[in-house]
Amino acid sequence: MQDDINNIRKMFEKDLETYSKSGDFDELYLKYFSKTHGLVTNLLKKIPSLSAEEKRTFGTSINTIQNELKQAITEAKAAFKTATINDPAIDLSIPEVPLNSGELHPITKTIIEMNKFFRYHGYSIAEGPEIETVEYNFRKLNLPEGHPATDLQDTLFVKEPDILLRTHTSSIESRILSEYEPPLRVIVPGKVYRNETANASNLGFFHQYQGFVVDKGVTIQHLKGILEEFHKFLFGENVVLRFRYKYYPEVSPGMGVDIRCQFCEGAGCTVCRQRGWVEVLGSGMIHYNTLKMCGIDPEEYTGFAFGMGLDRLAMSKFGISDIRKLYSGEMIYV
Amino acid sequence: MKIPVEWLKEYIDLDKTPAEIAKSFTTIGLMLDKPIIKYSKGNFSTEVLDLEHRMDRADWLSILGCSRDLAAFEKTTFKMPEIYSGDIKKPSKEQIVDIKVECPDLVNRFNTRTFKKIKVGRSPDWLKNRLESYGISSINNIVDITNYVMVETGQPMHAQDLSKFQKREILIRKAIKGEKITTLLGETIELTEEYFVLTQNGMPIVLGGIVGGKDTAVDEHTAEIVLDAGNYNQVNIRKSSRRAKIQNETVLRYDKFLHPKLTEIAIERATKLILELAGGEVYENVDWYPKETPERIMNLRFARIKTLSGMDIPLKEVESILSALGYVTAGSSKESMSVTVPYFRTDVEVEDDIVADVLRIHDYNNIPTVHLDIAPPKDITPEIYLVEEQLRDICKNLGFHEHITDPLVEPDPKNDKQIKLENAISQEKSALRTEMYTSLAKVAESYTKNKIKTSYLFELGKTYEKQGSGNDFADYNESRVLQVLIGGDELTAKEKAKTTKRVLASIMRDFGITPYAIDVTGDMNIVMHENVVLGEIKYDSFFLYTEALKNAKGIPNRIQSEYKQTKTEDISVVMPKTTPVGPVFWKIKEIDEKIGSITCIPEELDTIIGEKNKNVLFKINYSGDNFAETREKIIVLINSLGMSVRELSSIANDL
Repeated sequence: MQDDINNIRKMFEKDLETYSKSGDFDELYLKYFSKTHGLVTNLLKKIPSLSAEEKRTFGTSINTIQNELKQAITEAKAAFKTATINDPAIDLSIPEVPLNSGELHPITKTIIEMNKFFRYHGYSIAEGPEIETVEYNFRKLNLPEGHPATDLQDTLFVKEPDILLRTHTSSIESRILSEYEPPLRVIVPGKVYRNETANASNLGFFHQYQGFVVDKGVTIQHLKGILEEFHKFLFGENVVLRFRYKYYPEVSPGMGVDIRCQFCEGAGCTVCRQRGWVEVLGSGMIHYNTLKMCGIDPEEYTGFAFGMGLDRLAMSKFGISDIRKLYSGEMIYV
Repeated sequence: MKIPVEWLKEYIDLDKTPAEIAKSFTTIGLMLDKPIIKYSKGNFSTEVLDLEHRMDRADWLSILGCSRDLAAFEKTTFKMPEIYSGDIKKPSKEQIVDIKVECPDLVNRFNTRTFKKIKVGRSPDWLKNRLESYGISSINNIVDITNYVMVETGQPMHAQDLSKFQKREILIRKAIKGEKITTLLGETIELTEEYFVLTQNGMPIVLGGIVGGKDTAVDEHTAEIVLDAGNYNQVNIRKSSRRAKIQNETVLRYDKFLHPKLTEIAIERATKLILELAGGEVYENVDWYPKETPERIMNLRFARIKTLSGMDIPLKEVESILSALGYVTAGSSKESMSVTVPYFRTDVEVEDDIVADVLRIHDYNNIPTVHLDIAPPKDITPEIYLVEEQLRDICKNLGFHEHITDPLVEPDPKNDKQIKLENAISQEKSALRTEMYTSLAKVAESYTKNKIKTSYLFELGKTYEKQGSGNDFADYNESRVLQVLIGGDELTAKEKAKTTKRVLASIMRDFGITPYAIDVTGDMNIVMHENVVLGEIKYDSFFLYTEALKNAKGIPNRIQSEYKQTKTEDISVVMPKTTPVGPVFWKIKEIDEKIGSITCIPEELDTIIGEKNKNVLFKINYSGDNFAETREKIIVLINSLGMSVRELSSIANDL
């Protein structure tokens, strides 16, 4: 028995040397301590069959060797780890390529950022069909047939005259106003379509971001309030805003909002087309007729709405010069 | 709308620079659209403001209309131009140019006057300069006057040479199909019944409300004219001008809501200018106006101003703003006032529009900014939105790039389900996509071109399909889809298939959708969950219907807070070569909760046995220690499927 113990110890010393090179200490551990075939385990298994005296003598020795070997393995493991960490081949000063991760589309990133702002202010997100009826896209938004303002939005028809591709996300506003009871506080990001020839700044489809609130006691002052906060969120605390009257069929009074050009500080440059101001969004108090047509009493509730194009914003933010690139393989992520 | 500042100053007394004027216009709704232009010719020079017109205000297509609002904003006086107030001769019966209207649904008013002994010639410089600085070329004094009055008042006018008339009569009727007219510009248009025309002795001489004809045009020999100012059906002119592809200064105004009363001011103003610049005599003629448009009186509640603006604007200011804009107070009480809406304000529909007038002249920048302090209402965000946000995050975290591609595609004549657009400008973008693989594969090509050997891409969007006749809205379906694609040719099909399947598995794991199965039917590999189609997988791609995914969503749980003993066993199964392994995999997985995970890599471990069979290795991870019973169940299952277990090899995990 003592010989067995000695042989194991000798064998272990050799093994320890070998395994310390490869670092495969789990295999070394199993060789000696596996429950089914470990060399030390096998010795331990023999103990019950030994005489009382032998048990005293060898029992201690077996326990000792067990502890010694386990400790040796632990120490060798630690030493190996230290040696590996201190490997001169590890040079932390050499930069490495980053791990692979995906990238989101500039439009999505813009939407996520804006959603964050409006979610914080208690707005729900709404979605809806892109193939739309003339009823929700125009009529309920106070645009009767043949109204001159239809020119503002050249429509793509799926089936003339009633079924079309929505020309603005306001169609979702009329849907939500028709389906839900106020109070409502909603934003609508989404694709919209216009019958336009593709060029660097126009495409048959693009993205809009719409928001609206209907509640008791809502005034144009609240509209100005949220828009001021929103512009600060988007363009920074120092943004200078200009509010002006602007006609949109679905609101009255309507309001346009511009920011002072951040490139020329209002002096006029190519970015702001010499205006000194850049138009960011359109807004206004939801039209009396719109509320009425959607089944909301305009004497009890008032509301405001605002909407903006996302593409130009995303393009200027991410330095993309041509809208077509946003939606084709001409823009890739590296 | 272009405003030559020199012309503007005829009606408004304002000591401001063009830039300052443009700023005021912008505030009240006429935004400066382009840089201010300096127009010079000879001794004449003026700045020209190009203001954005938003289509609602017909009176903003006139210099007078713009001036009136500017004067109200600047609190300065607004002067109307001089109109003719002298005598108008009565014509003899033979002299009258009779006006007959056969399409009263398209004509509201046709106001005319005749002039004799006029002298057609060159316009004076002031007139020429003003017109040219606006952007209309000078023709002769008569034509120039009609154009001048149009720009000044907003009412299109037309003068015709009476000597070129066969009969002293203008008959207005719907055009006859196939009838032709040659316009002043020499273009010949073939007409349909949808147009209406002014005719002379049976022949069309003017395309109603759109463009005049060549035959009766005023020239240097003209001495007698009939001058008209009409008011027509706006929708018809809108549609007809677009059909004829004619956009001119006349159409620009006639397709807005002009008021019939405007014809009176225009005729009087033109009379004054014709007599002054071309001499001659003026005669009364027919004013065809069978149904007068009544005045509109509207009520404005002061409380409504407060409801919309949150402000108390002093009554005096409200009254002075409205009066400056042309409203006339018809009566007032403590709570409200009734006003006659100026005839030229055809845009005013509701009380709130009058409030809008008050607020914009008061200046929006003077309205305080207040934060909404009402508690936010109930959240109505649909679950699908959150589901798609989660999907986007998963794909991004797995290293996939998001792209958005154009839903408008080239039509496929063979695809009946594809939705084709009826009026798209460009043919290659005149249908809606029925799948997203093709457009995403095109994006992948760009990655290859840019030397990125393998591209991992996804798009969250919609596909569109038509069912049935397409006459009802319900025939059009939109499906929300996640499309995933691995592009490039560096990876083998087998390698791509493995990654594609792993991405799908990751999504299913994170959505707690287990089991899911791949149903193989012919060439298609359909992703299924409890008999519901979730999508389809190919070696390099898959798509999932996000709505179906939302409905199948379970509760994923990857958290393990207690130590669990696990054991792994390899089970080698012999099965027919053509049998898909997936269903067997899921059946084993469902046996009992002791089966933790199963790995099966047939692509790498398959070995074909004989002609008919293959050997598939399942690596089964049991949790807990007593798994003999579970293993027995697996063997029974495999046998019941007509397959056999070839080998079992347990590896005890002692560590």
